[in-house]
Amino acid sequence: MKMAVIDPAENEVNKNIWIAVGTWRWVANDDNCGICRMAFDGCCPECKLPGDDCPLVWGECSHCFHIHCIVKWLNSQQVHQLCPMCRQDWKFKE
Amino acid sequence: MAASMEVVNGAWDLATKFISPWNTEVHIGCEQNNFESATNILCDNGLLNLLEDWFFEEVQQDLRQRVSPAFWKFFEGLVPQDSVADKSEQNIVCLLQATEYLHKISEEYKPCIQLLESLPREINRNYSMLAFCGVNKISDVVRILFKSVVFTRASREFRDCVGQFYAQAFSVFHCVEHDETVNDDEESTKCSGCKHDKNDCACQHIMQRFNSINAKLDEVGVLEQVSGTSVTALVHEQILQHVENTCQGNFETAYLSSLQNWLENKVLGWLKLVYSLDRTNIGSDCIEGFKGRLIHFLLETYANVQISQLFKIIIEFPESELAIMDLKYCLEKVDMRSHLVTTLKSSLETRLLHPGVNTSDILTAYISAIRALRALDPAGVILELVCDPVRKYLRSREDTVRCIVSNLIDDASNELLEELVKSQPLIDETTHNEEEDGDWKKWMPDPVDADPATASKSRRASDIISMLVNIYGSKELFVNEYRTLLADRILTNFNYEIEKEIRYLELLKLRFGESQMHFCEVMLKDVADSKRINTRISEERIQKGEERTVDVNAMILSAQFWPTFREEKITLPEHMQKLLEEYTKRYETQKGNRTLDWKSHLGLVNIDVELKDRILNFNVTPVHAAIIMQFQEQERWTVEELSTVLQVPATALRRKIAYWQSQGLLKEEQTDTFLLVEEHKGRSHDSIVAEDEEAESAMASSHAKTGEELQVFWTYIVGMLSNLESLPLERIHGVLRMFAMEGVSGEITIDEVKHFLDNKVKDQSLIYSGGVYRLPKSS
Ligand SMILES: [Zn+2]
Ligand SMILES: [Zn+2]
Ligand SMILES: [Zn+2]
Repeated sequence: MKMAVIDPAENEVNKNIWIAVGTWRWVANDDNCGICRMAFDGCCPECKLPGDDCPLVWGECSHCFHIHCIVKWLNSQQVHQLCPMCRQDWKFKE
Repeated sequence: MAASMEVVNGAWDLATKFISPWNTEVHIGCEQNNFESATNILCDNGLLNLLEDWFFEEVQQDLRQRVSPAFWKFFEGLVPQDSVADKSEQNIVCLLQATEYLHKISEEYKPCIQLLESLPREINRNYSMLAFCGVNKISDVVRILFKSVVFTRASREFRDCVGQFYAQAFSVFHCVEHDETVNDDEESTKCSGCKHDKNDCACQHIMQRFNSINAKLDEVGVLEQVSGTSVTALVHEQILQHVENTCQGNFETAYLSSLQNWLENKVLGWLKLVYSLDRTNIGSDCIEGFKGRLIHFLLETYANVQISQLFKIIIEFPESELAIMDLKYCLEKVDMRSHLVTTLKSSLETRLLHPGVNTSDILTAYISAIRALRALDPAGVILELVCDPVRKYLRSREDTVRCIVSNLIDDASNELLEELVKSQPLIDETTHNEEEDGDWKKWMPDPVDADPATASKSRRASDIISMLVNIYGSKELFVNEYRTLLADRILTNFNYEIEKEIRYLELLKLRFGESQMHFCEVMLKDVADSKRINTRISEERIQKGEERTVDVNAMILSAQFWPTFREEKITLPEHMQKLLEEYTKRYETQKGNRTLDWKSHLGLVNIDVELKDRILNFNVTPVHAAIIMQFQEQERWTVEELSTVLQVPATALRRKIAYWQSQGLLKEEQTDTFLLVEEHKGRSHDSIVAEDEEAESAMASSHAKTGEELQVFWTYIVGMLSNLESLPLERIHGVLRMFAMEGVSGEITIDEVKHFLDNKVKDQSLIYSGGVYRLPKSS
């Protein structure tokens, strides 16, 4: 018995397809956003769609947040722009 | 001045002779003067009153002793109605003769009555017959005596004669008066009226006789007495027949006005012939009274016929809208609501609410009922009363929400979808809003049978979708089920084209609100995104010339927004695993900082299996694919070995192997050892259409568990049924309990077995009839 061997003539048109099912996730060292407490794989309270529409950003301190959450946080800080987790100066990681 | 006793006695004798119609010796005309002088004497002696009393007494006696027996003798020994039809003519002749006899007697009384009436009367005399009968004339009293003395009894023969007489006349009347509708059977040589040969038609004669008998009975004063019961019975019978013949089985026509026309022309027209043709003794209000009663009876009859077929009328709705509107009118005029509710309730119960009817049919009927009953009774009370058991029953069926949702998105039946399109946002039944007060001018009281616990507003406002959703009491549950079904559809069809799903979602969003449908929105976006990623990755593959015989496409899901997945352990063969890893790498490069976790057991693999004598194509789950791939390396595996390699528990493994067995690719060589069938000798399996027999939900559900466990027994059941042909549920359950194997948690209930078997019936792997299950005949 041979598996998944296609007649070469048919190869172009009739290709064997495997539709695999998976879930995506952010590669982060935490599950939840430290600001809004929502799951990273979900989205921030302002957003409806996760992933591309509500991405994560990392700071140089290696903490990460929903981009919308950290931007909102930074805008609310009058003097210094600190990471809400470790209180170090916030700098976006390149 | 007092006369002598003798004079008075002589005057009395003379006067009484004059007023004795039965005394034929008297020649009234020539001795008129004698009567006058005799009555003068009696008057002078205060005896005139006595003369009147004597007359009534004598008339009573005459009627009782002579007239009544003679009258009833006409009807003795007649043939009862239900024997030969030809005899009816004979009976009618008897009635004719009897009537003529009665009329003759009445005519004989007349001169005497006239004489008496010519006498001076003491006005306001108490204790006289006139006062007693409440009438003004002597002739009135005599008529009353005819009625009360002669007709104190009525023999069956008499009633038959009268009945036949009026029935014949009714039929002739319709033939003569309305030949344009009746005479459609021109081939018949018989007249439809008199039933004689057409060239010997007696209709004319019958109508003449009819009129003359009625006139004579009227003159005697007994027309109503004689005809009343028979005519009413006859007319009722005719109405009943006519309504049934016209309306039974047809629900697409309005009949009310044509029925009322028919009543007016054919029934009342005929009644006028009986009761209002120069009648002297019938009040002019007689026909009006009849009319009122007959219209009521007609509406009642019509309503009854419609109620008896209301289930069918409802199922046919909206084609049956006209029938419903007719019935609505009837209900306003006659009091039949509670009869309707009881009848419909019980026919719904017997026709719908039992295990033999599948849920979607019950739902369809329920939807029709909602529509039809709302048209019938806009206040919604009948609907509420009738459908309460239906709702309760639907609530007890586990697949109800599923059926509602699939009906909603079913291409074949657009009715619920239409409802969804035209419907407004779901009304929350707990909030009472202000506009109710603004509408007070339009306020209508609820019918008396309304349940006061339900606000009339909610009863009126709720539309079909909310009624369906409210079967379960909460829209959250409904929305959740929709989400599960959507997930299932996506993960069994693996169709990336989702325009239609998006359209439904938009409709549902309008309906249930954006926030409720948010999760579904993300799910659909996942499908669209996956399609885009797949395209990009396969373009990349082509560019780099890394195409394989099997390409992985992915369905990448946002776990937070999907229902819980059914978990299943499997370690895929290495080369399958590699394909996934490769996809993951490409994904990671595309989407920085993100990676994939695979649900190895979910998905769809399209594989070709090339055997010695054939190539087969299958669409199977990755687990199935992984199993059959093992046989590529070695042709014989034990369940234990496979279980070790694939990390799949033995029970689950057996179930998957069963699929390959059913496809003829594997066979159980000895217990728990399976062998690849490279070649089929004799038996041909080539024509097997590859289909995933156990297409099961990708989502976790409580019932899936028992279904999965019972699937283990499927081969046993098939074996049992091929040996014993057919078995009842109880037997199958009994055997399965004996077989109960490791891995089956707890006792299998008979319900679980039934549920499992019924699913097999649904997908035509089994036949259920006459209380037993059997295998379908393989042609
Ligand atoms: Zn956040
Ligand atoms: Zn956001
Ligand atoms: Zn930090």
